[in-house]
Amino acid sequence: MRFKSRYLLCELVLEDPRWRQNISQGTVVYNVREAIARTHGDFGAAACAVSLSVKYLNVYTGVLLLRCRKDFYQLLWSSLPFITSLDNRGQRIPCFINTLHVGGTIRTCQKFLIQYNKNQLLQLMKNCTNAAEKEAIRQSLQSCSLKSLEEPEFVLSKNEENE
Amino acid sequence: MAVFVDLNITNCKDVKKLQNMIEMAAHLGYSTVAINHVFEFESKKMEIGKPISTKELFSTLPTVQGKSIPIKILTRLTIIASDPSHCNVLRSTSPSTRLYDIVAVFPKTEKLFHAACTSIDVDLICINVTEKAPFFFRRPPINAAIQRGIFFELVYTPAIKDSTLRRYTISNALSLMQVCKGKNIIISSGAERALEMRGPYDIATLGLLFGLTEGVAKAAVSTNCRSAVLHGETRKTAFGVVYTVKKTCLEEEEAEPVCKKAKKS
Repeated sequence: MRFKSRYLLCELVLEDPRWRQNISQGTVVYNVREAIARTHGDFGAAACAVSLSVKYLNVYTGVLLLRCRKDFYQLLWSSLPFITSLDNRGQRIPCFINTLHVGGTIRTCQKFLIQYNKNQLLQLMKNCTNAAEKEAIRQSLQSCSLKSLEEPEFVLSKNEENE
Repeated sequence: MAVFVDLNITNCKDVKKLQNMIEMAAHLGYSTVAINHVFEFESKKMEIGKPISTKELFSTLPTVQGKSIPIKILTRLTIIASDPSHCNVLRSTSPSTRLYDIVAVFPKTEKLFHAACTSIDVDLICINVTEKAPFFFRRPPINAAIQRGIFFELVYTPAIKDSTLRRYTISNALSLMQVCKGKNIIISSGAERALEMRGPYDIATLGLLFGLTEGVAKAAVSTNCRSAVLHGETRKTAFGVVYTVKKTCLEEEEAEPVCKKAKKS
């Protein structure tokens, strides 16, 4: 039997974007667990701990993909707003998590993310000042499609999903 | 799909900070925000200041995430009322309150809460979330408020900041929900920094903790806010019945059915 999951596609918004580089998947999982325990107590922590994991973390854009059992994803989701800082090896990084999309499979989240990033690039194009920047963004816009983005990371996570 | 609205961004002197907050709101997907001017009476004769003008803040307004329209900025006045005389500002047709798009009142006592629900001309009633509710919410005033189309506002920033405040917020929200059954509730941020804001979908799930159902919680950040804004607009019109549009040729056609409706009710 296949266990159904929910995937939460989130965005890490930090006060200073340079700190993104120091964040690892372990840090995020630890902080999310803490937040669930704070808001929903022992029951919530236990219910969400069953299959809670970070499937994908992009340190350049701050996008992360959280997985949770379908029955309890609302416990996870309702505790995400209470995260105000990430504890990273004794360092406190003020941040918050903004949910972009909730999906049943990684694939739908991936599709959404590509669409979202395309929009982001269009926004960048609007604010361009010179022609060289504009051309660079146009190139990257044309290059992004579902096929070309199937990096090893995504293939890996897909295999896990099928198991 | 309804658009998302955040009706409470705290006004501060620091223009840069305010700009940051509004940019963040646009990034999170809010289409309309209201800058909140809190006004507390200290001496008897105090004039309500003019709202901050949006043209001074931005030369070009930031674009809303996922849409191609610029963000809309409204102004809001919140009066902290601890004495009945404080509400006189709202009763008279004073020119200072007319400058604001939305008028809210923060009643400190049960009597004032009753008055705010039944007689004072406001759009929003703020619910105290930072301490234990000083009075019980009773059914008659709240029903009267729902009848008049006044909305109750819950602020979520204190809940994010601190664990004790979170308990007060949730318990006060639940005791309110017991009476009003999820009707006429709006949830807004009350943010003082950009990092205290949350995305609209996150707030909708946060509503589950406040005892709202999924659909109602989503309405609390979208459609209910829109009704509150429209309720504020009616103050600027004649008796709140006739709404004039700038296009002169359409005015006659539109004014007639509205009048007929008013006669019937």
